[in-house]
Amino acid sequence: MKDELLFALIAVFVPFSMLSIGGGASIIAGIQGEVVGARGWITARDFIELFAISRAAPGPGTMLATLVGWKVVGWSGAVVASLALFLPSSLLCYTVFRLSNAHREKAWHRAMREGLAPVGTGLVIAGIVAIFRLSDDVWLSVVIAGIAAMLLIRWPHLPALVLIASGGGITAGIALLMPS
Amino acid sequence: MAEDTGVATEPPLVPMLSLFVVCLKIGVLSFGGGLSGWLYQEFVVRHSWISDEDFSSSFAISQMLPGANVVNLVVCMGEQLRGPIGSITCAIGFLVGPFFAVIAMSAALSRIGDGPVLQAAMGGVAAAATGLLLVMFWRGFQRVARSQATGLATVAVVGITVGLLQWPLLLVVLVVAPVSVFLAFRRARHEG
Repeated sequence: MKDELLFALIAVFVPFSMLSIGGGASIIAGIQGEVVGARGWITARDFIELFAISRAAPGPGTMLATLVGWKVVGWSGAVVASLALFLPSSLLCYTVFRLSNAHREKAWHRAMREGLAPVGTGLVIAGIVAIFRLSDDVWLSVVIAGIAAMLLIRWPHLPALVLIASGGGITAGIALLMPS
Repeated sequence: MAEDTGVATEPPLVPMLSLFVVCLKIGVLSFGGGLSGWLYQEFVVRHSWISDEDFSSSFAISQMLPGANVVNLVVCMGEQLRGPIGSITCAIGFLVGPFFAVIAMSAALSRIGDGPVLQAAMGGVAAAATGLLLVMFWRGFQRVARSQATGLATVAVVGITVGLLQWPLLLVVLVVAPVSVFLAFRRARHEG
């Protein structure tokens, strides 16, 4: 059972490793679809919590995979899921970096970058939609996210951690004052 | 910053331990993204391990390829400084702190329990973090809008199929990405 789960974690995260175009934010929708939807390993509520931790903690947002592995199998799951997500893309990057001559292959680099950029951007908005969909109170989440985004666009140097903590403070305050 | 010494003597190898420690430090302090700036400060400005030019070509490759950009970036820099072992050292150094940090936070939260207030707080944290993603989306959207009309269609197709219709991400990317890269390639050839 445990081995099966470990293999399943590999089967889920290795493809996402190669699909995380423009970074980890692009595969949130995909991870959610697999672990909450198709496989049913994690409840919507737990997924929101794991996503929140992965964004509030240090490190790349892709530590979400580590947390999924931890939640599903424990320590071995955390290690396996992390390796499954970080190893394939790192190996690819290593190989391309060694083989490519940055100055000679500029045209090819540019086409890849410009061609993949809109795909990555589309995946980021898909991830945002996926998170909203799982929220307890969708409209409250949309409002908080919208305000946070506007503040950050207006003042780009606002510390992300302060914004994130304020979001948590606001909803905790609402829950305290208006218990449902 | 970088001095022009011409045929300078081979610079001394960066010690593996320093490489590990610098990556560990950036990993642990890396809250809320924007880490490439940190890496630039440490590797180019503070330690002068890597030249400006090498940093920007590593950066371009890291962004173009799949994977967390910062992890790709430390992999490239480790390779430049100490070869494959350097890459492994940098990647592990960078990830080991966050690995234990997220698990510690998750374990602490489940200790505290499942109260409605805590749950609401996590929802708020997630919502505000989604706001940061919105900014990332907005910047990407603006960049795409400036450079290419077909790019906007690509953003819309991917966003709608994966986000709203919940089609499998793998399928959508495998179909859309090659088309998008091909169009960009053709456009580049037309422009000269």
